[in-house]
Amino acid sequence: MSHHFLEVRDLWVAYPDGTEALRGLSFRLEHGEAVGLVGANGAGKSTTLLALAGLVIPCRGSVNLGGTVLSKQTVGEIRRRIGFLFQDPDDQLFMPTVFDDVAFGPLNQGLTAEEVEERVRTALEQVGAGHLAERPAHRLSGGEKRSVAIATVLSMMPDVLIMDEPSASLDPRGRRLLIGLLKSFTHTRLVATHDLDLVLEVCPRTIVLSGGRVEADGETARIFQDRTLLERCGLEPPLCLQGMPR
Amino acid sequence: MPTSGCRLDENPGFFSRGGVDPRAKVFVTFAFLLVVTSFGKYEISRLTPLFLYPVSITAVSCVPVAKLLRRVLVALPFVLFVGLFNPLFDRQILFKAWGLSISGGWISFVSITFRSLLAVAAAVVLAMTTPFDRLCLGLEKMGVPRVLVTQLQFLYRYLSLLQEEAVRMVRAHALRARGNRPKIRVSSAASMIGFLLLRSLDRATRIYRSMLVRGFDGEVRLMKPLRFAWSRDGIFVAFWTLYFLTVRFVDVPGRLFGWVLGR
Amino acid sequence: MHMADALLSPAVGGTMLAVTAGLTAYSARKLKESPDESRIPLMGVLGAFIFAAQMINFSIPATGSSGHLGGGMILAILLGPYAAFLVLASVLVVQALFFADGGILALGCNIFNMAFFPCFVAYPFIYRKIVGDSPSRKKILLGAILSAVAGLQLGAFSVVLETVASGISELPFRTFLLLMQPIHLAIGIVEGIVTGAVVTFVWKARPEVLESAAQNTPLPGVSLRKVLAGLAVAAIFTGGALSWFASTYPDGLEWSMAKTAGTEELEAPAERVHTALAALQEKLAFLPDYGFRPSPAGKDSQPEVAAAGENEGKWPAVDPATTVSGLVGGALTLTLAGGLGILLRGAVSRRK
Repeated sequence: MSHHFLEVRDLWVAYPDGTEALRGLSFRLEHGEAVGLVGANGAGKSTTLLALAGLVIPCRGSVNLGGTVLSKQTVGEIRRRIGFLFQDPDDQLFMPTVFDDVAFGPLNQGLTAEEVEERVRTALEQVGAGHLAERPAHRLSGGEKRSVAIATVLSMMPDVLIMDEPSASLDPRGRRLLIGLLKSFTHTRLVATHDLDLVLEVCPRTIVLSGGRVEADGETARIFQDRTLLERCGLEPPLCLQGMPR
Repeated sequence: MPTSGCRLDENPGFFSRGGVDPRAKVFVTFAFLLVVTSFGKYEISRLTPLFLYPVSITAVSCVPVAKLLRRVLVALPFVLFVGLFNPLFDRQILFKAWGLSISGGWISFVSITFRSLLAVAAAVVLAMTTPFDRLCLGLEKMGVPRVLVTQLQFLYRYLSLLQEEAVRMVRAHALRARGNRPKIRVSSAASMIGFLLLRSLDRATRIYRSMLVRGFDGEVRLMKPLRFAWSRDGIFVAFWTLYFLTVRFVDVPGRLFGWVLGR
Repeated sequence: MHMADALLSPAVGGTMLAVTAGLTAYSARKLKESPDESRIPLMGVLGAFIFAAQMINFSIPATGSSGHLGGGMILAILLGPYAAFLVLASVLVVQALFFADGGILALGCNIFNMAFFPCFVAYPFIYRKIVGDSPSRKKILLGAILSAVAGLQLGAFSVVLETVASGISELPFRTFLLLMQPIHLAIGIVEGIVTGAVVTFVWKARPEVLESAAQNTPLPGVSLRKVLAGLAVAAIFTGGALSWFASTYPDGLEWSMAKTAGTEELEAPAERVHTALAALQEKLAFLPDYGFRPSPAGKDSQPEVAAAGENEGKWPAVDPATTVSGLVGGALTLTLAGGLGILLRGAVSRRK
C-alpha cells in the first residue's frame, strides 16, 4: 500500500437539527500531497474532517482511503490510518501524563510494551518534546500542548494527517515551529484552517469550501490571488499577499 | 493546586516520581489515621509523637511548609465549630492544678484540634508528595475498581481547565454588573452553571471523538508498571507501622518526661 | 457538610469505608452491564464540572449569605445513579486530598452522606417518580427541590449519627440534630432551585442529554427499591451498631441523649474505648501505659492489671503530677519532632 490516496465523493452530511453541513462534497488527495482546506465559519471544514474519520455519518456519498471505503466495518481500519489533530489540544491530551497520551493510540493497537515505548520515544523526539514525557498535560504551555498532541497522532504511524486549525492559539514562535514541523512531514496532509499564511507556506494546493460544497480547488498561490473568489467565500487574502502590488 | 508554587510531584527524590511506591504511602496514611483516631477523646500528650510523621515527610520531600500550613488551617473552622461545643456540654472537671480547674470539654477540644491538624497534614502530605497519576495507579493495584481510577484521572486532568472557564464567567459577570463586588443572583447563577454544563458536555464529546480516532474501544490502558521495592517501600512501611504501634502502646511523652527528670 | 477525621472513631470510619467500597464495586459492576464508551470522558468532565460550578458563588435571597452548588442531584439526573455515584466519589476523593475537605479516613462517611443518598435514594424514589418520562418545567423544579431536600436531610442526619456514634464530639444527638436539619433544609431548598433551573436550562437547549440519561435508568421496580432500602438500613445500622459495640461504654447515642435530657449524671466519660488495641494491650500488659501504671505521685497501690472498666472509671481523677508529666512530655515530644524535621530538611537540602 505505497499509494494511499484519499477520495471523497458526493458527500452529504446533515445534523439532527436539520442543518445541512455538507452538500455534495467531492475531492481527491494524492499520496504525499499537502492540501489546505479553507472557508468561512460554517462552510463545512470541521464537518468534512469529522466525516473523513467516521465521526459523523454521512447520509450520502463515500470516503475512500487507498481503496478502502469507509463503512461501519472498516471504520476501525480507516481510523488507524488517519491521524486526526483536533483544534483544541486539551481535547486530545486527556491522559494523566504526556507519555500516557502518546502511548494511548499504540496501546489500543495492541502493540507490545517495547514497541509502544519505542513509538512514544520516536514520536516525542520528532516534535522535539522528548523531555516532556513525564509531565502532566495540564502543566504544559500552549505550544508544548500542540507539539505533544501532534506526537499522539504520529505515534500511531498514520498514512494521512488531517488537522483542524493546528495554529489556533499559538504564539508566533510556536506557530513558526509548527509550520516547520508540518513542512517536514511526508504524510498526505489535509489542513483545515483560517490561517491562510500557514496554508501558503505548507500546502501547494488549496480547497475552498463554501456552503458545504467545493467552491474552488487548485494551486494555492493562484487561489489566494483571486480576490473575488475569496470575498465571495467570506475570506481575505493572506497577509503576506495583501501588501503585494497588483 | 496545579498552578502555583513548587511543583512537588515533579521533583525527583525519595518521595516523588520514582520514589516510594504510592501503595506504601496509602497504607501508611491509613495506618496513621487509624492510630490518630484510636486514642480516647481526652488524649492530648500521646498524640504528640505522631506529629513526627507529617513533619519528617515534609522535611524530606521539600513540601513548602507555608503551603502545608495554609491547607491545614483552611480545614480547621468546621472542626473547631463542632469541637467548641465540647467545653459547653462536658463541664466535668477532669483535674485541678495550681488553682486551675480544667473541664473535660476543654481537654477534648484541644484533642480534637490536634487530631484535625494530624489528619489534615497526613492527607496534604500524601497529596503533595505523590504524583496523582502514580497515586491512581497505586489505587488500582490496591483493588479500587478501574472505572473509579479512570474517573479520578479524567477529573483531575480537566479540573483546572473547567475551573478557569468558570472563573472567566464570573469575571465577565462582574464586569457587566454594577457595584464593586456584584452578587450573582440565583437565576443568573443557574444560567451560568447551565452554560458551563453545556460547554462541559461539548468538551466531553470532543474528548470522546479524539479517543475514538486513536482506537479507543472502551478500555483505557495504562502502561506503567509499579514496582514495590522491598528494600525501599517495605522499609518505609515497616518503619512507620512500627513507629505508630509503639506510639499507640507506649506512652512516649510520659517516658520522655520521666527520662529527662531522671525518674 | 463534610465529616472530618478529627471527629471520627476508627470503628465508624472503617465501617463506612467498607460500606462505600461495597457501593463503589456495585456501581462499577452495574455500569459494566450496560457499557457505553462515551460515558468515560463524560463522567470525567462532569466531575471537573462540579468543581467549576462550585466556583460560582451566588447570593441566597433574604439571608445576606452566599452559597454554591453541591451538585449531587445534577449528576444523578444527567448520568443516572451508578455513574453519578462514582463521579461524586471521585469528587470527594479529590476534595479530601487536595482541598482538605473532610479527610481520608472520613471518605467513607462523606461518600455515603453526599453520594449515596442523592443517587440511590433521592433520585430514583423522588425525582424519577415525580418527573417520570414526560418532563415539564414544573415537574423538574418540584422533583429537583424535593429530592435535593431529601438527599441533604438524609445526609445531614447521617453526619449526626456518625458524629455521635464516634463519641469524640460532645454535641448531644438532639442538639446536633436540631442544628443540622434546619440548616440543611435551607441549603436543600436553594440547591433544589438551582438544580431545577440548571436542568431545565439543559433540557431546553439539549433535550437529548436528559433523555439518554433517563433511558439508562429505568424507573425503579420493587426489587431495586428493596435492595437499596435494605442496603441503606443495613449501612446505617452496622455503622451505628458496630461503633456501639466497639465502645465498651455507653457513650454513643444513648449516652448523649441521656445527657441532653439531663436525667443521668455519669460518673465517668468514656475514653480510650474505641480501641481493640488498648484492650489487647491491657491483656498483654507488657507495655505499660501511664494511665494504668503506678503514678509517680504516690497512688502506687493501684494494681497494674486492674480490670479495664475500673481503670476507665478512675482515669478522670487524674492527679496533677500525671498531668504535668503529660503536658511537659507532650511539649518535649513536639519539640523533638520539630527539631528532627529541621535536621532532616537541613540534611536533604545539603545533599542537593
